[in-house]
Amino acid sequence: MRLTIRHDPTEVGEYIGQYIAKRINDFAPTAERPFVLGLPTGSSPIPTYQTIIRLVKEGKLSFKNVVTFNMDEYVGLPQDHPESYHSFMFRELFSQIDIQPENVHILNGNAPDLVAECNDYEARIKAYGGIELFLGGIGEDGHIAFNEPGSSLQSRTRIKTLAYDTILANARFFNNDISAVPRMALTVGVQTVLESKEVVIVVTGQRKAEGLNHLWTLSALQTHPWALIVADEDATLELRVKTVKYFKSIEKVQEEVEKNKPKGLGKAESVVAAEAASAELLVLSTGGLTELVFLVQRLADGPPARTQPPNDASHEEALLRLSA
Amino acid sequence: MASPNGLVCFTNCLLPQEDGSLVKRDLWIDESKGIIVDAQKTFFQLKQRPGKVIDLDENILSPGLMDIQINGGYGFDFSVYEGDKAYLEGMQMMAERIVETGVTSLLPTVITQEKSLYPKLLPLLKPLSTPRSATLLGWHAEGPFIEYAKRGAHAPPLLLSAPEGYETFKEVYGAENLVKADEWTLPQGQSVGVRVITAAPELPGVMDALKILTENGVVMSIGHSVATTDAATLAVKQGARLITHLFNAMPQFHHRDPSIIGLLGASPHLNSPDFIVLAEPPCEIDQVLSSKDPTSSMNGSRSPRSSLHLDKGQVADMSFERPFYGIIVDGIHCHPNSVRLAYAAHPDGCILVTDAMKILDPNLEDGVHEWRDGQNFVKEGDKLYLEGTDTLAGSVVTLDKCIRNFCRFTGCSIGEAIRCATYNPAKCLGIENRKGTLRPGADADLVILDRQGNVLSTWARGKEIWNKKQ
Repeated sequence: MRLTIRHDPTEVGEYIGQYIAKRINDFAPTAERPFVLGLPTGSSPIPTYQTIIRLVKEGKLSFKNVVTFNMDEYVGLPQDHPESYHSFMFRELFSQIDIQPENVHILNGNAPDLVAECNDYEARIKAYGGIELFLGGIGEDGHIAFNEPGSSLQSRTRIKTLAYDTILANARFFNNDISAVPRMALTVGVQTVLESKEVVIVVTGQRKAEGLNHLWTLSALQTHPWALIVADEDATLELRVKTVKYFKSIEKVQEEVEKNKPKGLGKAESVVAAEAASAELLVLSTGGLTELVFLVQRLADGPPARTQPPNDASHEEALLRLSA
Repeated sequence: MASPNGLVCFTNCLLPQEDGSLVKRDLWIDESKGIIVDAQKTFFQLKQRPGKVIDLDENILSPGLMDIQINGGYGFDFSVYEGDKAYLEGMQMMAERIVETGVTSLLPTVITQEKSLYPKLLPLLKPLSTPRSATLLGWHAEGPFIEYAKRGAHAPPLLLSAPEGYETFKEVYGAENLVKADEWTLPQGQSVGVRVITAAPELPGVMDALKILTENGVVMSIGHSVATTDAATLAVKQGARLITHLFNAMPQFHHRDPSIIGLLGASPHLNSPDFIVLAEPPCEIDQVLSSKDPTSSMNGSRSPRSSLHLDKGQVADMSFERPFYGIIVDGIHCHPNSVRLAYAAHPDGCILVTDAMKILDPNLEDGVHEWRDGQNFVKEGDKLYLEGTDTLAGSVVTLDKCIRNFCRFTGCSIGEAIRCATYNPAKCLGIENRKGTLRPGADADLVILDRQGNVLSTWARGKEIWNKKQ
């Protein structure tokens, strides 16, 4: 795994922009063999996008045969809302480069069947032979796309309920009206990102330092595609209060979402069932729980490896701690 | 050369927004349909991008300018009738030549006429636009229901009051010209049309007629009047939404009876809505999930603001809506300080007008020129007098020059000045969906200005119709 450090966001943007340009030009994409690029939203990638736009305008880079897949999109937000990720990508990148509209893929948060939309998205990625390079950022809590801490490392594109922190943080884009912030999003899974040939993560600013700090820790449970832990109050005593409140807030948002079940969940009797159908749900469990820590795994050079399950010793240890 | 798919992208330009800001952004138009398109929708839903890209070299791509008070130009006078044919030809000529000043929409203004002329003139002033000209939006009748003491250059024997109220209006202008908006048939192919009447609300019969005319879709404007503050306020409540050339032909500002000029300072104290009592705000966590709490400060909709409120920089709620006001910014009709005062008091209502006379022509020399009925003008730079008097007789300034003057007089940014000559007049007339903006669906009437506000090229319905280099 590589960790490259630059002086400030502008330099980081310049570095990554040039890096992506080089990768695309070396790949020499054609219509039959396009370069498949995964893209994020948010403030971190903007300097990178500006570098890319500049290189395209200078004639040093072309997106004519580049296919893009975005990481995520809000559920239920009209596509032309200024804060939708469609709007973000058009405004910050697509309108200013020579990409073909039919080569752009962004999850449709207003699809009549959200689960089918997620599965279809995975199928489309597969049809292109997978993603060559996935550019991503991380959240303050170390999340990638909308995979909040605790997400299964084997997760695929699915529906996610947003954490209270995320909703609060996003309220500034919705006129500080918390009720206007979407409660759910469609997101690529951790596994979807990890299966790309290369992952490039942009991390800038002091607010992201903590997420970066937890980079090398491992949670065994998170390798399971569908995990459920249920806990009582005493069982949470060794966890940080902050962590406990965090997960409780997801439950509260979940309750609200249950009441106003969005269209697109089709036959699922409840949001819980729908989320479960497409991914996983994490709730704290009884039986005692001492610690839960998070991982964002980076790739080494070369072809991607499937996420390795931890070796038996550490797995056992983790299980012991869980049942203490 | 045309675009292969009809779509054109203007890039490397600054776009004036409806709030007066300037953003660096591309604009996509459909040159075959002559409209501005929603770039994002075109990209994601139609999966198309423009086949032709025009680089504007960091200049400003503005909605075409709109002049809502203009009496004539290039030798043609909207108030002089010499037969239908000559009149229509004159209208067409004006519309084709005015584009060199950046104007793509104008409202022909007819000053006080002999009664019998209105029924002949007004039907000819139906909305009109041809591919290579500015759009004529309809008509602006300034007079004859105006106050003698403030007549300016209008002929005294032709001034009238309205003893029968609305009936007098119908008799003078012609009933068929005052019908409701949906009955005022527009010519083939025209879908935007406006009618404006300037009148003095204190004259007998005018105040009542005001209300009916507004209901019929006519924009009523207060001008050439000595109305008291109360009369002026009542006129606005009756529906008047515009003031004609603020400061000119109205009482000077008096601090105890501010009259028409004082409307810009209409006070919440005299016009506040009913008061709502605030409840205790609930605690934070529940606020997140309860989206129906109207008093929550974390909610987007703000609480009502009564007198003695706590929000710095905000104005208490007022049920009275201050009118728009036209203002001639040639530096002669109003002192720059006055212009700045007005703008500071009510920036959202500011509309730049030229009130230009028939001899308007950016290339005309100074000296004596013929007007009408034996009278002559004297032109000195941008100054225009009735020969032998001190009376200002309208102006010969162009609208793009007004924009540059406005920036210098008020100190505002060029984007805000452009707003006063595009979005504000369109909003006053209720046509902001089609003209005066860069909204998707609006007509692609555009003007390219350099950053000093000089016109470089003018476009109508998606095609370039004038270029400085020609």
